[in-house]
Amino acid sequence: MIWVSSRWKILLMVAPALIVFTAFVIYPVLYSLGFSFTKFQGFGAPEWIGLDNYVALAADPFFWQSLQNTIVILVVSLVVLIPASFALALLLRRRVTGGGAMRALVFGPAIIAPILVGLIWVFILDPKIGLLNRVLGFFGFAPVQWIGGDTLTPYSVALVFIWSSIGFAMTIFYAGLQLLPADVMEASALDGATGWQQLRHITVPMMRETFAIVTILMITNVFKIFELVYMLTGGGPVHRSETLVSYMYFVTFTNQQYGYGMALAVIITILGAVVSVGYLALARGRKQPA
Amino acid sequence: MFPSPHRRPLGRLALGVLAATATIAALAGCGSAGNADDGTTEITLSMQNPDVESADPATWAIVEAFEEANPDISVTVSGEAVSEHLQKLSIAAQSDTLPDVFWVYKSTAEEMQQAGKLLDLAPVLDELELTDSFPESTVANFSAGDVIYGVPYQGLLTGLWVNEKILADNGLDVPVTFDDLVNVAETLSAKGITTISNGANQSSFSVWSFLVDLDRFGYEEKVDGILDGSEQYVNDDFLRLYEHIAELRDAGAFSSNVSTQTYQQAVDQFTSGNAAMLDAGVWASSAIQDSQIAADTGFWIGPQFDDGVGEQHIVMNVASAPFAVSATVAADEQKLEAVKKFLSFYYSDEAQQIIVDNGQPPVTTYEPVVDAQAQSALKAALDASTAEGVTSPQSQPDLLVPTPVANAMYDSIYGVIQNQLTPEQALELVQKALDAEQ
Amino acid sequence: MSAHLIDAAIEPASEFALAEPPAQPPRRRRGRSVALFAGAAAYLVTFLIVLPILWIVLLSFQPSGNILSNPFSFDQLTIDNYVRAGTALPLLQMYGNTILIALVSVTVGTAISFMAAFALTRMIFRRRGTQSSLRFYLLAGLAVPVYILLFPVYRLDLALGIFGTYAALILPYVAVSIPFNTLLLTGFLREFPGEIEEAAIIDGAGLWRLCTSVVLPLMRPVIATIVIFNIVYVFNEFPFASILINDPDMVTVSLAVSRFQGQYTVDYGGMMAAATLVLLPQLVIYAIFQRHVIAGMTVGAVKG
Repeated sequence: MIWVSSRWKILLMVAPALIVFTAFVIYPVLYSLGFSFTKFQGFGAPEWIGLDNYVALAADPFFWQSLQNTIVILVVSLVVLIPASFALALLLRRRVTGGGAMRALVFGPAIIAPILVGLIWVFILDPKIGLLNRVLGFFGFAPVQWIGGDTLTPYSVALVFIWSSIGFAMTIFYAGLQLLPADVMEASALDGATGWQQLRHITVPMMRETFAIVTILMITNVFKIFELVYMLTGGGPVHRSETLVSYMYFVTFTNQQYGYGMALAVIITILGAVVSVGYLALARGRKQPA
Repeated sequence: MFPSPHRRPLGRLALGVLAATATIAALAGCGSAGNADDGTTEITLSMQNPDVESADPATWAIVEAFEEANPDISVTVSGEAVSEHLQKLSIAAQSDTLPDVFWVYKSTAEEMQQAGKLLDLAPVLDELELTDSFPESTVANFSAGDVIYGVPYQGLLTGLWVNEKILADNGLDVPVTFDDLVNVAETLSAKGITTISNGANQSSFSVWSFLVDLDRFGYEEKVDGILDGSEQYVNDDFLRLYEHIAELRDAGAFSSNVSTQTYQQAVDQFTSGNAAMLDAGVWASSAIQDSQIAADTGFWIGPQFDDGVGEQHIVMNVASAPFAVSATVAADEQKLEAVKKFLSFYYSDEAQQIIVDNGQPPVTTYEPVVDAQAQSALKAALDASTAEGVTSPQSQPDLLVPTPVANAMYDSIYGVIQNQLTPEQALELVQKALDAEQ
Repeated sequence: MSAHLIDAAIEPASEFALAEPPAQPPRRRRGRSVALFAGAAAYLVTFLIVLPILWIVLLSFQPSGNILSNPFSFDQLTIDNYVRAGTALPLLQMYGNTILIALVSVTVGTAISFMAAFALTRMIFRRRGTQSSLRFYLLAGLAVPVYILLFPVYRLDLALGIFGTYAALILPYVAVSIPFNTLLLTGFLREFPGEIEEAAIIDGAGLWRLCTSVVLPLMRPVIATIVIFNIVYVFNEFPFASILINDPDMVTVSLAVSRFQGQYTVDYGGMMAAATLVLLPQLVIYAIFQRHVIAGMTVGAVKG
């Protein structure tokens, strides 16, 4: 296998992706990192203020509120979404009439632009005109402030995020299931493994990478939630339901505090990366003893 | 071992990659289309509505009339929603790729002006002899020293639209004082009717009537001191106003879903007869005119406070966000001429009447023709603004402060309406934004 | 339909072998009821997930005024919204632009990501550390919120002289897709056993042949998944499109919906109609490509 190590061949394979990615993602991030150390309103010359933006961020109650909301959404989403989408992939793998159509339909929400997902759910969750409270009212229950109240909004956002991502996660699990070597599955079946045993001891362990992929995608996607909140509550009342990115959007574009917004964006990027890497390290750690 | 069927699709894929790469190169090569050299001059007009034709028919009609009168000039109108529009402008300004003429918030225009991105319109207005066609406050509003960086786009005439039938059905009169208003709220709230329709979702700026109220508590005298730090936003006068807002809230004046409702939904709530008043401005007159409640709708300039400061009989009738002209226009003689012609046309009586025909007040001193029947809502607003003894502040309070402070002002008002902030906390929120600007 | 459900009952692997003969009758019954339950659950879950989509389609036939005040009335359904969407939007042009941009960016993005992923998982680097740090470098892009990129990318497009061309949009789309593609491809390549490739190498296959004739066909489900997601991304991407497209002739479908949102007006009916018009072609694309996701199963079975 000497030919594989050939340096120029490796370079040829990696270079295109590396160049485009560096030019259009990494360079812009560094460029914005520079702005995060300045006071910049979007016009004129940026004024160097060192770490002031980061210090201000630490004292900004709305930032902490948005961080807290993001964490709630993250925990709720992961706990529900990963098992649910995996179960759904297993379900839809069975031969059921219209299975292909069902897979397409389940994927449907993932196709809808997030801004529209938010809009659709306004008509469901709105405390006054929404479908959900009308149904509750029909059965004689008091209306609930699903969105726009004091506490429930992040949970509702998590629900909507789960809805919009389940087809996405399911599709990846589904692809992972297709890649399982058929011989191993058959052999285990011949060994007398029940469906549950097979799932627990063979399918799930063999799909470790798939689980890692889905989890990382969901973590980083939660850290990017913006449109859902924007449509459901606009971050309100008074920034109470803001997520990290929706608050960054407000600061950067509505308030036109470009430098401050970029400092927030840098923090979001770092947080997303740290949580993802932390998860990977955890997953690796668990893998070792097994 | 490797049957050919597997190979073909991938061979095709490889070709595809090559083709695609070539396409990128080709697409990059074709560049943006240059000005067609058929003798016409193109000017670009960038607006705050994605679909200008339907969302801003006045501007659209003026452009059409202008192009007809000037066949050698073509106006390319583009637009996007306000947030994208501002985003795009701010990014374009930093790269000197601003559109020729564009709608922009006053505070943003000021920053652009300071950064040297805008054309000084003072000589242009002089040359076109337009300076005197505007109310004095308008020009003062868009001036920085001798430089004029903006010209009025449309009027900002705000207040509360009132469904007089709802009031009459419940034995109520159109209120005059704040106490009357609280009384209306209490009566209607007992019957499950919203008194003031408004919505904070994606439209926290929709607090126009409360901005007028700030002027009824001495904002105009205080604002310079507040901005230079010699006075505080946290003061007893403003506190009284914010406490009144809390009173209104406790009287059940607002919709239960005010947090999740958008401004558009608030308008809908009013035009479908489900709220007694709408906090908005003259731009809503077309929507009202088209609805079933048109005949019942009046226009109220807002409550008078017996504990207010200064003149209480005021209406907000000022210039809204301006048009600005990119500094780069000056480099192209032909383009500059075309822009001048456009401005000259925009402020002609003909164009101002077009504005009125589309449900907006004129921005010049032109006395418009308003059809009392077909434009009853607009007429009600115009009449209220020109009534005996009514005066207008120079500018709307939020337009006098930096953008983050303006946003904090909106948040402070909605914060009290939504019972998220006490009046004291609300004032401090704004003060904090002010302190951060020092 | 019931016949298929019985098919489904026979399908699960657990039916092939049974540990002890006496257990057979109850086991079989249990298997059947599990399958029935699973089938019913699949229909139910699918229905619940689809419900909100049906909801927009339904709303798109409501008069604009009704959508807010009376969304549950069904007596005034109309196609007015579609007529308005049809006149306000240059639909054909929008689809044309989007399909062009999607084709080019997805092809390029998938191809170069595949090359990189193959190198990062299958080729032998002199230093192992380089390989995994390169992988992490590419994956780091997943954590980047798009708003951090807007302004720098705009400047970059201007500097490269591609602003105002399709390439101005295609290049960032390719770049943003690389982390996602890399995550999926390297993940699945690592999960997938390398024996078949080793056999091919022993057979004397070169790098090109190894990639295209051996690994790619095996990765078809993953490639299909990536293609689907990337197409969906391009169809829905809004921030870049709204900033980098200046020319009204170059607008993409992702801008269609925002067309109905003005400063003081929102045309909810038009929005819903536009949303439906953007959605349906994507569902069709998914339906086409998901066959390839399943096709992968057969390839795997043949090799097994």
